[in-house]
Amino acid sequence: MFMNSNLFEPGKSKPERNFVQLAVKQNQRFDGRRSNECRDVELTFGSDWGTVAVSMGDTKVLTRVTCDMGTPATSRPNEGKFQLNVNLAGVAFLDELQTTHDQRSLTLNSLLERTFRSSRSVDLESLCVAAEHHVWCIRVDVNVLNHDGNLYDASTIATLAALMHFRRPDVTFADDKLRIYTEKERDFIPLLFLHYPVSVTYCIYKSSWQPIVDPTLLEENAADSVIVLSFNSYQELCSLNAGGTAPTNVRTIMQCARNAATRCKSLVDFIRKALSLDEERRLQGDRLVDGLVALIGNTQHKLSFNKLMGYKKQEQQPTPSDKMELENESSEEPEVEEIEAKEEPSKEETGEAPMDSSGWLPQDEDSQELPIPSEASTSNAGKGKPNRSKNKANKKPLPKKQNHSDSEEEARQFI
Amino acid sequence: MDVEKDKLRQMHCEFNPLSRCDGSVMYSQGATGLIGAVLGPIEVKTQNLSIDGSYLECNYRPKAGLPQVKDRIREAAIRDVLELALLAEAHPRSKMSVQIQELEDRGSIDACALNCACLAMLIGGLPMKYSFAAVHCIINEQGEYVLDPDQSETLHQRASFTFVLDSVEGNLLLVQTKGAFKIAQFNDIECLCRAASAEIFQFYRSQVAKYHGRSEATAEKAVMET
Repeated sequence: MFMNSNLFEPGKSKPERNFVQLAVKQNQRFDGRRSNECRDVELTFGSDWGTVAVSMGDTKVLTRVTCDMGTPATSRPNEGKFQLNVNLAGVAFLDELQTTHDQRSLTLNSLLERTFRSSRSVDLESLCVAAEHHVWCIRVDVNVLNHDGNLYDASTIATLAALMHFRRPDVTFADDKLRIYTEKERDFIPLLFLHYPVSVTYCIYKSSWQPIVDPTLLEENAADSVIVLSFNSYQELCSLNAGGTAPTNVRTIMQCARNAATRCKSLVDFIRKALSLDEERRLQGDRLVDGLVALIGNTQHKLSFNKLMGYKKQEQQPTPSDKMELENESSEEPEVEEIEAKEEPSKEETGEAPMDSSGWLPQDEDSQELPIPSEASTSNAGKGKPNRSKNKANKKPLPKKQNHSDSEEEARQFI
Repeated sequence: MDVEKDKLRQMHCEFNPLSRCDGSVMYSQGATGLIGAVLGPIEVKTQNLSIDGSYLECNYRPKAGLPQVKDRIREAAIRDVLELALLAEAHPRSKMSVQIQELEDRGSIDACALNCACLAMLIGGLPMKYSFAAVHCIINEQGEYVLDPDQSETLHQRASFTFVLDSVEGNLLLVQTKGAFKIAQFNDIECLCRAASAEIFQFYRSQVAKYHGRSEATAEKAVMET
């Protein structure tokens, strides 16, 4: 009798699917973006430590990090606890239809678990106060406010930003007595990180070989497969989530991975910048921090990706447009590859850390080793497998963090 | 920043910030902010189905973690008031869902949550008998009345009051009190809150008018705002 609006999510009906498939085939998107263009990301920090609201277009996520004292698990007596909670109900009204809700929260939860917990991004050992007795329990609550596609990225960005923003109280443990200091007595301490992962989502359609990044709900529901890649700021793969029915080859996934790695790096840079701006603001005026109320109306407290990283955007602008024209005229893939291969090293030179970590990407390695890029790109499809194993052999002796090999092996299993 | 003791803090609201519900509002009073969203009338589960009125679902979500007892009490208060105000007979065999998400709690959150719920209902177009306004007031240690107190002001209080009044006849819909006070003080504060509620109704009226007027040929106003 009544229409349950959630039964009629955009992209679920056949005409909508056909429309999106057709649009992707013509390299068009409903909101006018290019296939490799992301929506603007906006961060708003709350007045409490560890509260962050993220919006990507109409997708809005609110994340809060809290901590309290607890006893560690018996299997890991010297590590703090880390708990991730996803809440899809509430103002997002996503629980009206039980079946989709379950699946959604499960995939989202497992993605966050793998991105943050399994990849060991937070240094849990630093959260131990007294082994087997007292550890910090960190709890992350992800509240989805509005769902317009790409909840994955929005929630990983929100979680990372909230964790980086969060400060815990200082604590001392002496003579079997636990003392937790208030903020006035001692400054709060930020969490320690081993690396900073964020995810990037791609949708793949049967009608086109070109994956689209940062899908809206319409595009996400109509997609044949959705690939979520998590990279850290060192451009190492942390998790890969691929499902669906669209036939994908190694080349497409590698292309996604390469772009995702750069995107993730700039996202982490953006979060760092936003955090430093927020800190400045806090230092300036003790009572000025109005927190999430800033979401209403005035835009001065919203920290937008495009604004903060504006210079980067302009630099990149010409290359994608060239690329698009190329694809439209003649879908010559080698040439496209060439441009991207050229684009890569130049960007990596700007980064402060040496980017050897992207070495597992076959195309990159080829273009760096071989002087002729066209040869590399034409042959890389066949080379994919042997190359990777070679890279692995190369990788091992490199002085890298120990978690690196973990995440890489984990990723390999998925592929 | 400091507001006089007999004035409400600055109110702000933004309508329909969320795209997937029938009506939503971001509401703030001073530094306290909430998001309210409504969906309805929608299909109802058979166990909640009622043939002579719609079923009202009301949830209040804290900023983090599961709802605690105080959140449940707040939720119950909101539901009680909404059940009075909702014109349930208009849509039998249906469900109205109201969700309130806390953003920032800096004092008077009970009253703010109620006002937020009312605005969400208004903008979502759910049928109501009347709109309502909630006002929070405390008696501080010096025995002064502080209307719509900030969090710092609520630390030392003798008594706190929350009054909810309807817009048509000005009847009391809900009274919550805490602490010790005299009957004379109660009456004083009721008068104070009644006066303040007029200001809130005026705010509702102007904001809703502004929102709906924007689509018409009042482009100048819209430009001025932005």
